[in-house]
Formats: sequence, structure tokens, C-alpha cells
Amino acid sequence: MSHTDKIQPHWWSKTLAGVFAGFFLALGLVGIFAWVGPTGLTEHITPEQRSWKTQFNMWMITPLWCLILSFVYMFKTGKQAWLYLGSGAVLSIAIVYALRSYL
Amino acid sequence: MKIRSDILRTYQSLHTWTGITAGLLLFIGFFAGALTMFSSAINDWATPPEYQLSQVKAGDHDVLLQQVLSSSPEALKGVTISFEEGSSPISWYGHGSARGFSMDDQVWHATLNEQGDMITELRHVNELSMLVDYLHRSAGIMGELGHDQAGVYVLGIAAFLYFIALVSGVIFLLPSLVKSFFALRKEKGANRFWLDSHNLVGIASLPFHIIIAVTVIVFSFHDLFYGGLSQVYGDKPMFGGGEKHEEVRYELKDLPSLDEIKQATLTYAPDYEVKSISLSRLTTEHPSATVMIISDRTLMRGPHNDYVFMNPFTMEINSSSVTTDAGQQGVWGAIVTSFFGLHFGSYGGELGRWLYFVMGLGGAFLFYSGNLIWLEKRRRKQTVEQSRSSHFMANLTIGVTLGCAIGLAGVFASSKWLSLGDWNINIAYMWVYYTLFLSTMVSAFILGAARFSILGLKLFIALCVAVPLNSLVAIVIPSIGIWAPDSIADLGIELGSIGFALAAFYALRRAKKRVYQGEENSIWYCPNINKHQKTVSLA
Repeated sequence: MSHTDKIQPHWWSKTLAGVFAGFFLALGLVGIFAWVGPTGLTEHITPEQRSWKTQFNMWMITPLWCLILSFVYMFKTGKQAWLYLGSGAVLSIAIVYALRSYL
Repeated sequence: MKIRSDILRTYQSLHTWTGITAGLLLFIGFFAGALTMFSSAINDWATPPEYQLSQVKAGDHDVLLQQVLSSSPEALKGVTISFEEGSSPISWYGHGSARGFSMDDQVWHATLNEQGDMITELRHVNELSMLVDYLHRSAGIMGELGHDQAGVYVLGIAAFLYFIALVSGVIFLLPSLVKSFFALRKEKGANRFWLDSHNLVGIASLPFHIIIAVTVIVFSFHDLFYGGLSQVYGDKPMFGGGEKHEEVRYELKDLPSLDEIKQATLTYAPDYEVKSISLSRLTTEHPSATVMIISDRTLMRGPHNDYVFMNPFTMEINSSSVTTDAGQQGVWGAIVTSFFGLHFGSYGGELGRWLYFVMGLGGAFLFYSGNLIWLEKRRRKQTVEQSRSSHFMANLTIGVTLGCAIGLAGVFASSKWLSLGDWNINIAYMWVYYTLFLSTMVSAFILGAARFSILGLKLFIALCVAVPLNSLVAIVIPSIGIWAPDSIADLGIELGSIGFALAAFYALRRAKKRVYQGEENSIWYCPNINKHQKTVSLA
């Protein structure tokens, strides 16, 4: 394996990518699930069902964010981490906004 | 299992740095957390037997409630009716509230005497378990931030590091996992032993640790997450919403009997037992009854019980933490409740509590041993002189871990004596804890980790032994006013204290050996002062 194939440390940039891009990616994924997943926001549900589903949605942000934070160091460089996580975050948040506007 | 070497190296550094930064905070959280499993026993142990007023006969709660409500307007805001043996039948807050962290809560207790007349007493709430819980949630970091203690957010951040440490630990352990999982190599030196036991405890309780890490983050940062989620939801309501509640003011005389409320609850959640009922805001448009129910057979949402919320006048159930055929929790509610239950260890009754106690102490061991391994890896093996950072970390590790243990043991040892004085006992607890914690830290840095570990362990043992000794004093000289255990649970606290003393005694013997006769090129080595003098005088 040549030097360029190896994982570069880039501790700060990867960590920041995991914290910021990772948070929005996790939130975006949960958002998509909240809108189009089962017991979604467009369905007619009782206040109690809604309250439980909202709590569940909130709970899901943490494990997703934590997994992203844990595996962000697998990216070869900090730049790549930002590129993939950043575009994932932008894309997922964009989908959530689209769902919010059209559903 | 084969993993690329660059990945292994990355995750090894990650494990080292996340572990060393979060480890000591988490140690306090876990050590105190293990003790919170027995918080009701701790409170019962720390309060004089006559603190709770005597329970009334099964049907008499209604009679007493009517008297309380008509004579004490404060009780209309919130009053708790307890059906448990050994607890006052009715109580309400005279100062402070059940929510939040406050040290000068005062509670009215009420019961009926033999003639059927109401007796009331205003009493300070002895919150020994509150101190333990405070340390558990904040690691003893003082200060407030928003509506919570600053320490809660610090531990929330530590929990992120903890999660990363778990994942990275598993990744770099994977290649050697199969062959060294159950190996405890004592003969290969102390370092190997610590490493093997660190790995064994870590892997064996991994699911528990993942749950704890995730739940701690949510407990600390749910406001942030709900804030983010509200953006995602747009104008869809997050909770309830939509329908309008009728604004009805209820007459107190229309309040159903407690038995009817109990019955309505048990119809809704048949496998449960009613522990207590809290009525609040009875004279407003939003009266509410919180029925606390317990069952040993299911996972409960609260640390000690499940909840059913209802309108006490109509007995219409608004919400509950129980998944029943009558409710609407569905799979989402069941999962959310499991998260809470899995953090609190509130399932399986007594057995579940003991299991969580052991796993909590196991967690504390994990962080302590992690620091020891860090120190062993960094020591210079060829020279007696060790680097300043090694000494600093060793002093900090011993100072924090022993400081927390000595502080808590000191509070338990002095608790009954403190109750004799005319002061707010909860503030006295704080003083005792912080004085012991800080002086332990200072001593560890002045004497050095090696020498102090011996002194500190001796002090810890003495304080642990003082707990049952106090009870002996209480039996021999009852006129002092302290009291001996009067229940199995109380006795359990004292036996636990002896258990901690024995464990520390074993640790003391090992530590002495290491400090005086161990390898000289180690931060744990100290020449024995006496032996040293003897050789000098012989020469």
C-alpha cells in the first residue's frame, strides 16, 4: 500500500466534519424518516401516538450521530470527510425541506 | 479477523485520547450511578425510623385526603398519596418541589392517629440519595447552565467521547479478540493483567455501555435535538396539539375516591400494583393525577416505576409509560420506554438492580483500568525517573477515583451524626463530600500517587468500617440519638459498606506490594521509608 492510500490522521477536520456535518446528516435522515416513514407526519394519528413517535424520532438522532462520529476517521482525508458528510447533510436537509413544503 | 494496520493505528490513538479525557468523569458517574440503584434503600437508611409517619389502614386514605385538602391549601397544588408500607400515607411540599435539584425542600407528612384525627409534621427532606444522584449526573461539577447543572452537559460531551472510545476499542481489539478474550494473564506482569481484564469487562458489558452512552447524550442534549426536530417538522405539531381541551373547572367534592382511581388504573394496566398517586392542580382547569405503578415483570420507564397520567375527575387517561392493549404507545412508545428502562435498570426488580449495580461498578473499573494501562504504556522502562505528565496523570487518576470514593464513604459514615445537628443536612452532605474530595486531590498531588494510594485506601477502609460501627454505637448507647438498621434493605447498605471495605483491603495489599517491592522503574514504586532507613543504618 502506498503512502497516499493510507488513512491520514487529520484529527481536527475529521472531528469537525463528524460534529457539524454529522449532526445535520443525522437530523436530515431522521427528518426523512419522520415524514415518510411509518406513523409519519402526514398520517392521521392521535396526539398520544404523535407524542411517542416524536420522542422516538428524537432518540434516533443520537445513535446515528454517534455512529457517524465514530466512523468519520475511516475517511482517508479530512477533506473527503467534509465532502461526503457535507453533501450528505445538504442533500438530506434539502429533501426534508422539500417534504415540508409539498406534503 | 484482519484489519488494515492504518485503521488499527487510527482507532488505537482515538481510543487512547477519548478514553483518557473522558475516563475520570465517567468513573464518578458510574461509581455514583451504581449506588443510585439502591437510592430508596439509601434514603430509608439515612432517615430516622420515626421520620415517616405511620401508614393508615387500607380504606382510610380517602378520609385523610379530605382532611388534608380542606385544611391545607398548599396541598391543592400537589399532594402525594402513598400506599407503600414504611412511608407516610400523605405528603406534600411545604417548600420546594419534587422537580429539580434543591437542597432545602421541606415536606409535610400527614397521618391519622388512633382516634382518627389528622396529625401533620413539616420535615426537611433528607436527600442522601439526591447527593449520590447529583454526583451520578454531574460528576460533582458545580454550577448551573440553563435549567440544568453544568456538569450534566459536561458528562453529555464525555458520553460522546465514551461512545467513540467503545467503537474504537472494539475495532482495534477485533484482530486479537478471539484468542485473548477470556485470557487473564496474571503471570505476564501487572500491565498484561490490567489490559486483559479491561478488555474482558469492556467486551462482556458492551451492550450495556452502548445503551448508557446513547441515553446519557439524550438526557443531556434533548433540548437541542427537539429544537432541531421542530425545524424538520415545520408547522406539524410535535406533541399533542390539534384538539382543544374543554375548559372545565371541577368541584373538589366531585373527586372520585382513591379506590376508583386505583381501579381505573388497574383496568388500564392490569399486571401492575399501585405504589402512589400524586394529585396536582386540583382546583385549576388542568387537574392531573399521576399514578405510579410498579411491576417486576416488565421494563419500566422511570427509575422505580411506570406512570399513568389521568384527569382525576373524569378518570380519563391522557398518557402512560405502560405499553398495554388499552394504550396507544405502539412500537415507538415501547422502544422509547426501553431506552429509559435500560438506563435506569428498572426491570427485573431486585435482581435487575443488583445486576446494574455490578455492571455500574464494572464500568467504573473499566475507566480506572484504562487510565492505569495508559500510565503503564508511557512509563520509561529503563529509569527510575518518570516523566512529569506520567506523574500528573497518575496523581489525577488516584486523586479523582479515591477522592470520589472517600467523599461518598465519608458522607455515609457521617450521615447519621450529621442528622443530630440543627442544620440543613443536605448542605452538610455537600460540605463533607467536597472537603474530602478536594483534600484527597491535594494530598494525592503532594504525596504522589504511589504513596497516597496506600494512605487513601486506608482512609477509605476506615470510613467504610465506620458505617456498621455507627450502628453498634447506636445499639450500645441509644441515648445519643443515632439509630441502627431496622430493615433488610438498611442492613444491606451496611453489608455493602463492609463489602467495599474488604475490596479496598485487597487492593491495599496489592498496592503495598507494588509500591514497596514492585519494579523500580515505575511510577508506582516508592522506596519503603523504614526499610530504607534500616539499610542505611546497617551500612
